[in-house]
Amino acid sequence: MLTVRGVTVRFGGLTAVNQFDIDVPDSGVFALVGPNGAGKTTLINALSRVCSVAEGSIELNGCDILALRSHEVVRAGIARSFQRAEVFPTLSVIENLLVGLHVDMTTGIEGALYLPATRSQERDAHARAEELLRRLDLWDDRDQSPADLPYGHQKLLDVARAIISDPKVLLLDEPFAGLTDAETPQLLKCIVDAGVNCAVLMIEHHFELLEGIAQRITVMDFGRKVAEGPPAQVRTDPETVRCYLGTSRC
Amino acid sequence: MSIRRDVLAIAFVAISALLPLVLQTIGQRQVYWLFVVSELFIFAVVAISLDLLMGRSGQISLGHSGFFAVGAYTAAILNEHYRVDVVLSMLAGGLLSALASLIVGFPATRLRGHYLGIVTLGYGIAVDQIALKWDALTGGDQGIHLHRPTFFGVPIGSPVAMYYISLAVLVVVIILTWNLLRTRIGRSFAAIRDSEVAAAAMGVPIARTKVLAFVCSAFLAGLAGALYAFLAGFVAPEDFGIDQTLLFFAMVVIGGMGSIAGAIGGTILVDGLRVAASTVSGLSLAILGGVIVLVVLFAPSGLKGLLRARARSG
Amino acid sequence: MIQYVLQLALAGLAQGSLYALTALGLVVIYNASTVVNFAQGAMGMAATYVAYLLLTNAQVPFPIALLGAILTAFLIGVVVQTALLGRIADAPILTQVVLTLGLFMFIEGILGIFFGYNPRPMAIPLGIGPVLIGGLVLRPQDVIELALLIVLSVGLATLFRTTKIGLGMRAITENMYAARLMGIPIGRVLSLAWGIGVMLGGVAAVLAAPTTSVTPNMMDTIVVYAFVAAILGGFGSLLGAVVGGLVLGVIVNFIDAFLAPELAMSIVFGMLLVILYVKPDGLFGRRTVEKV
Repeated sequence: MLTVRGVTVRFGGLTAVNQFDIDVPDSGVFALVGPNGAGKTTLINALSRVCSVAEGSIELNGCDILALRSHEVVRAGIARSFQRAEVFPTLSVIENLLVGLHVDMTTGIEGALYLPATRSQERDAHARAEELLRRLDLWDDRDQSPADLPYGHQKLLDVARAIISDPKVLLLDEPFAGLTDAETPQLLKCIVDAGVNCAVLMIEHHFELLEGIAQRITVMDFGRKVAEGPPAQVRTDPETVRCYLGTSRC
Repeated sequence: MSIRRDVLAIAFVAISALLPLVLQTIGQRQVYWLFVVSELFIFAVVAISLDLLMGRSGQISLGHSGFFAVGAYTAAILNEHYRVDVVLSMLAGGLLSALASLIVGFPATRLRGHYLGIVTLGYGIAVDQIALKWDALTGGDQGIHLHRPTFFGVPIGSPVAMYYISLAVLVVVIILTWNLLRTRIGRSFAAIRDSEVAAAAMGVPIARTKVLAFVCSAFLAGLAGALYAFLAGFVAPEDFGIDQTLLFFAMVVIGGMGSIAGAIGGTILVDGLRVAASTVSGLSLAILGGVIVLVVLFAPSGLKGLLRARARSG
Repeated sequence: MIQYVLQLALAGLAQGSLYALTALGLVVIYNASTVVNFAQGAMGMAATYVAYLLLTNAQVPFPIALLGAILTAFLIGVVVQTALLGRIADAPILTQVVLTLGLFMFIEGILGIFFGYNPRPMAIPLGIGPVLIGGLVLRPQDVIELALLIVLSVGLATLFRTTKIGLGMRAITENMYAARLMGIPIGRVLSLAWGIGVMLGGVAAVLAAPTTSVTPNMMDTIVVYAFVAAILGGFGSLLGAVVGGLVLGVIVNFIDAFLAPELAMSIVFGMLLVILYVKPDGLFGRRTVEKV
């Protein structure tokens, strides 16, 4: 269980996240919604230790996440994707995925010698990457640079890289943004499958997408939690409606 | 690895291995050409090391001759004063250069691109100045002559022996680097170049990886430098410095960054030009500079990129 | 002793004004286009060759030759920006660095081919010799260097603060995207910035010529110190570049006098490393935060 209490993130004079609380259970798909500028990405950044937190606590099954640096969170079980797909164009699609598995690999510069231990690690990693690529229909693109692929595929790869490390918590930042209608079902299935074994916290704008897959929606505005509950309930919540439709902000 | 690349690699090694036999037919000039090609093999190692740092890891290095020089002087001092063998001298040269590179490697973790470039420039200059000034150790502007190089106890007399040693070292370095690039560390280098934030999210320790890139690159360049000391039989500050850095730089840029084959191809082109234009001052500099500008504007992936595009369409 | 130290400081300030001018040029260019012009010294040197030719072959009076150099430098800057850098405006930093380095090699090489590496003397006809004031020797050369630095700095500051195009340059520095949306002619402003930047380097080179003689690598030392000065100034602040250059000039002169001139650059870089360890953005620099 990911426990977030009273998290506050400030940038200079701006308070992006304000005394935010959220509990994310061990499995399932949970959505985080809110107008632009609500602080959703900042919260994800805080959870993945990309930005610093002024107040509050973040714990994952008792482990103090705030004590970790940004490259240590994946080992603690938190993986994330990015609003703009941050793929590695220098590497091929399959190599991008292999980086996602680095947390489970131990080869250092002795890799230059390609000893049997290294060889077997690489082989196992390749097998895991192949399995996921085939599932996502990206296998044919495996040796290409992601820069040569359509943007939707890049986003898919970004999410796949986070999933492949078998995290406990999967943070997805607008995974469907930029995807065509053809590309959406694949990702949808991928997320639902992931939600069986781990907790998926997903930032998303499209309520229709969420209705089917999210078991709980948290609404955020001006850095605060404004509403939380099952999709049907949240959708008609007056606070939520005012956030999205009203001219005066909450 | 594509079949085409396999064929090219084997062809390269085969031609290189047979070259001395071909050169024997030339007669007197044989020694000169053996030297030139051996030097080319050594420079190719340096180009590979610079490509590992700049092309693969995205760290600007404008002082690479500094890494090379530290290796060269280490080998020269060890061999001339302490009768240390070629292989051990090379390893020592590589290790010392790697150690010295920490001076720029550690700051690299906190400096923006331009600052890093200028700091590495300073490193190259400093190595040059110190080599010139610390004459008790380095012989100052007189340099150090190597008189008794040995390879596993056997004295190396002939240019042919040095030729094959240089070729062997290049092949070994190619294999080691290629292995590195297709395993975890090599991928981490590319990751920190492309997106530090994503790399960190996947557990790549940014600072440590940057330092590692410098250390690996400096080790290879130092190794090459040590070998160079034995090849030339002589090290002096005038052999190193900004001119040499710019040559290495040109090799990597023109050949195509991020590729071992590109580094080697670039070395052949640039070194070939240097040897051909050696009598006209400024000519090779102007041509290399002009080609670099053209490459950046019209063929940013260098020679390798051009050939690949031709292969794809042709 | 005090006399000697003051004399050294004065000479250092004069020398430093050359670093400062070159650094000013670097910073103007960087502020507008986020490119570090590694060919700054080479371009200034090329302009100086024009002055040299005008002086020796065409026998023109010095002020005309200087004007020729300044115009050449300005032109070089404009051409480089419009014809070359404009093409790769979106490329990563490494690519732009590589381009300016290629230009550096090309310019030095070409001038090496045409003029050779033999130093050609070039003196600035001053009319008056050194003057003794309060026990200190004041060389007119030094005074001119410092004076030009002050005049050009103030001129530049005025340009940025009061003219429309200067305002445009500051806008581009702050936010290129917004500037474009507001109708600021980006291309024209960038060309102007490059023109001014290279021109400043050209002035420094001409002033340096009497000491270094005119050779293809005459500016190599000065431009390296200019980089350091620009870094000390945070590579964004004009005042920082000027102060950095002057201070560096004094420091280098003291190192030359009391330590070892052959190690001056190494010592300076050692100092720079220490400073950057404490302040990775330079003494006056501000860290820009990138949005994820």
